[in-house]
Amino acid sequence: MSTYVYGITAHEHPALPKGMDGVGDPPRPVRVLEEADLAALVSDAPEDLRAKRRELLAHQNVIAEAGAAGCVLPMRFGSVAPDDATVADVLAERADHYRERLQALENKVEYNVKASHIEEAVLHRVMADNPEIRALTEANRQADGGTYEQRLQLGEMVVAAVQAKEAEDAIAVERALEPVASAVSVGPGSTGWLANVSFLVDRGSAEDFVAAVQRAREDLAHLELQVNGPLPPYSFVEPGPAEPAGTTAGGGLEHEEK
Amino acid sequence: MTVVPAQQAGGGGSGSLYDVLELVLDRGLVIDAFVRVSLVGIEILKIDVRVVVASVDTYLRFAEACNRMDLEAGPRKPPGLADIVGEVTESGARGKSKGALSGAAQTVSDAFRQAREEGEAEPRPRSRKTNARRKEEQE
Repeated sequence: MSTYVYGITAHEHPALPKGMDGVGDPPRPVRVLEEADLAALVSDAPEDLRAKRRELLAHQNVIAEAGAAGCVLPMRFGSVAPDDATVADVLAERADHYRERLQALENKVEYNVKASHIEEAVLHRVMADNPEIRALTEANRQADGGTYEQRLQLGEMVVAAVQAKEAEDAIAVERALEPVASAVSVGPGSTGWLANVSFLVDRGSAEDFVAAVQRAREDLAHLELQVNGPLPPYSFVEPGPAEPAGTTAGGGLEHEEK
Repeated sequence: MTVVPAQQAGGGGSGSLYDVLELVLDRGLVIDAFVRVSLVGIEILKIDVRVVVASVDTYLRFAEACNRMDLEAGPRKPPGLADIVGEVTESGARGKSKGALSGAAQTVSDAFRQAREEGEAEPRPRSRKTNARRKEEQE
């Protein structure tokens, strides 16, 4: 029987969600495997596991439940080990690394911020900044909308200007929130937001972060900022010990460069 | 002022699942001794294209948007007559180009619309219409 893995935590975690519903239909109960002072949250893996909505939710819920009571390193969805023994071996082999991550992420949560343009507002900005676009718009208006070519030409210029603004605003969002986070992880651009950035935030300063988001909304009024959090630190589990998660994590001044 | 909920529960609702989908699927710990289940059928990740994609459809749509924009007004100003006329022409055009409209353009206007619904939405005829369409899309 193969083993589905949800996350890794310290064995002293106060409230592991033993018996909670995991993936599968019927849901497989969550079990805890302990090894090397670490605990893996696992369940039996259903044969036909696929990335369906209910499975994704089950995965997310188990991690969220455990994450509410203590630090958890969330696995990416769909991680399946051949058996329990393999999971235990992995914990033993990489114990130092996982413990380092758990320590670095203790009392930290992830906030994911996605930004997109508010169309009307960004068009106003683009027009205000660009006399050529204004002139062409005016000319097209006089000409009853302009010819197909004229409209294409205007549209092309506007799109180029908006795209330039997207790149600019992605940086602006990051800059605005970086100071209140202990680490930043820029998400893949392929999902299509002009900015998709995760911030690692101390639980204690979550309010500061939310306040900074509010300020950013006011300063960057042509952007829509969508904030999700607090979340388990999905985007901050990977960096190895050589890459400190953030300046406030260790409190020390260690620099390991490799 | 636009108010979007700043905080949501960490797990739970399907709404929040959609919003954090790419975190669950693309990030998190990966261990090479484990296998991953196939992610066939997860095109959902690519649907939410909200950046402006360069295409003829987008060019025309943006040209149209500029044409009906009141240059003197701020973005929050209630619509003048010019805008209302613009709406009418636009909905006509939209009817014809349905389906040809790129996903990008669609979602950009979704974002725009959403912001408007959440914020100081003026009760414009368009809001009602697009609300209905939006529901349709979600089903």
